[in-house]
Amino acid sequence: MPLTTRRQLLSATALVATTSSALGRSVTGRLPWSPNEAYPPELVRPGGWMFLRPEEVATLEAIVSRLIPADDLSPSGQDAGCTVFIDRQLAGPWGTYEWYYMQGPFAEKPLPTQGIQSPLVPQQQYRTGLAALAAYCRENFAARTFEQLSAAEQDKLLAAMEKGEVQLPGLSAPKLTTTAFFNLVLQNTMEGFFADPIYGGNKDMASWKMIGFPGVRYDYRDVLANPGKPYTKPPVAIMGRPDWNGRPA
Amino acid sequence: MMRNTLLAAGIATVAIATAGPARADVDNFTEVARGRYLVTTGDCMGCHIGPDGTSLAGGHLLETPFGMIAVPNITPDNETGIGKWSQQDFHGAMTRGVRPDGTHLYPAFPYTAFTRMTRKDIDDVYAYLRTLEPVNHAVDRDTLPFPFNVRMAMLGWNWLNFTPGEFRPDPNKSGEFNRGAYLVEGPGHCGLCHTPRNMLGGDQGGKHLEGGALQGWFAPNITADKRVGIGAWSQAEIVDYLRDGHTERGAASGPMAEVVTYSTSQMTEADLKAMATYLLERGAAAEPAPTVIAGSDARVQKGAAIYDDTCAACHVGDGSGVAGMFPRLRDNQLVRQADPTGVLRVILQGAQSASSPRMVTAPSMPALGWRLDDQQVADVATFIRNSWGNAAAAVTPDQVRAMREVTAGVASPAEH
Repeated sequence: MPLTTRRQLLSATALVATTSSALGRSVTGRLPWSPNEAYPPELVRPGGWMFLRPEEVATLEAIVSRLIPADDLSPSGQDAGCTVFIDRQLAGPWGTYEWYYMQGPFAEKPLPTQGIQSPLVPQQQYRTGLAALAAYCRENFAARTFEQLSAAEQDKLLAAMEKGEVQLPGLSAPKLTTTAFFNLVLQNTMEGFFADPIYGGNKDMASWKMIGFPGVRYDYRDVLANPGKPYTKPPVAIMGRPDWNGRPA
Repeated sequence: MMRNTLLAAGIATVAIATAGPARADVDNFTEVARGRYLVTTGDCMGCHIGPDGTSLAGGHLLETPFGMIAVPNITPDNETGIGKWSQQDFHGAMTRGVRPDGTHLYPAFPYTAFTRMTRKDIDDVYAYLRTLEPVNHAVDRDTLPFPFNVRMAMLGWNWLNFTPGEFRPDPNKSGEFNRGAYLVEGPGHCGLCHTPRNMLGGDQGGKHLEGGALQGWFAPNITADKRVGIGAWSQAEIVDYLRDGHTERGAASGPMAEVVTYSTSQMTEADLKAMATYLLERGAAAEPAPTVIAGSDARVQKGAAIYDDTCAACHVGDGSGVAGMFPRLRDNQLVRQADPTGVLRVILQGAQSASSPRMVTAPSMPALGWRLDDQQVADVATFIRNSWGNAAAAVTPDQVRAMREVTAGVASPAEH
């Protein structure tokens, strides 16, 4: 009986494979190839901000530097370029969820398993969230902005946002809760910290050096032949490394 | 009157018989079959391929230092091909580079080599071409700029650069050697690419098969020189290379990949052995070996770092490659040619190896021109050319820039 099931599954798969020719093609003999073929990621242009406004940048720089403070392990989130990463991502296709279906209906009380249910795209979530945070600080910290708070005050506020103990004004389910906004920023900060430097963050491959990630290398036969010995090669980014590309990664 | 009409009718019949596309008759099957093999050996398709991709209807633009030459239609079409050519006309073109109307062909058509072919072989090629489907495809044959469009000038060129005459076997050599010599120097016309050109596009005197630049590639030295030629190869390796496009040493790519796919992979084992025997026995010739650039040189050190991060995953840290898949760079004749064109082209543009009946998939190398700038490509090429037993002149960023223009590759990566 299990055999029959397996066969049925296989034939069903074959049917799908033959009927949906648009999804794939079979290649026999010579493999396809064309000269100069490459799909390099777009290089992040240095300087300036492409989506974020100056006051948003100031707040975000303060947040990413509390999520990843400078210490003896790594530079701060700001110095690693996390805000640059987030800005360029917001300005790109992700910022508008270009490839998602973004029409309604949106669930009023979505289950976690339902995935994205907010009508707000990341650009709107950041703009709304940062504005709400600015308003909250104005009301509760005597007109000081988030970045003007002490590190301890910032940490306390961020922790409260994460736990849902603070509700930033105007943020609510299902569009954007305070916790969801915090989680978004945390997620993107980590992405900027660990992604390839080509995307604007992870300056000098600082995070990779911190955790010993080798980067874009993909063949370790030379190393595997030396079990027990430490791995000493420096990490390599998509565009190389400072030893030979003449620029900080 | 009656007689005149009959005569005229008779002439008309003759005209139809010669002008119409001749088909293979039962009685010339052997000639046609030999002719077909010779057309493969000469890789006629390599240049004369038609826009349909299957016929010899021409139209392909051949890049020469003097301008573009449009390759003619050699199907037996009366209007646009060679349907009206007689066997004698064809022989004149093959051995003297002259068309039936007396005008001269350019030596991009290798009559300089085909003149070595026997009358019988040329007649058989003619017999085979007559059996092909005529394709009506007019090719503009006057694409060269002045003064190279003056075909009469070829008279002077021929006087300087052309030695007509059929191949004479060397009685002191084996039959296999002589067969190989005939194939290499005659129908195979290896020298058209592998012999350096002089300023006029003729063979550089005394440099036969010592390697030549063409169309942004470099056809390496194929004398028996051990350093840059194929003197270190065994006969079996040369046969494998010509038949499959791959050996433990590396793979054919660029124009040679096409030669393997369309020509040598279709040739008999005996003929491939004969060519290998001739090439190995005819002698070695090359420029003196340059001094190796030391590992302490800044360019070599940077190149080593680039190699480790970019190339070593496939070609392995010690340059040993993976047999049958990734070319071995250690002790490699191709990478240490005096002219670095081939190496630069492959690094910048990537390359696909030959596809042949026994090795069909044609593994390829990805383009790296988008990731490495001119200085970086120069450094890694200098490193490869001076490591693991190789020694060759350093590569300059200017050479890389020139190659980038030839390959119309993506521009040097933008400054980060």
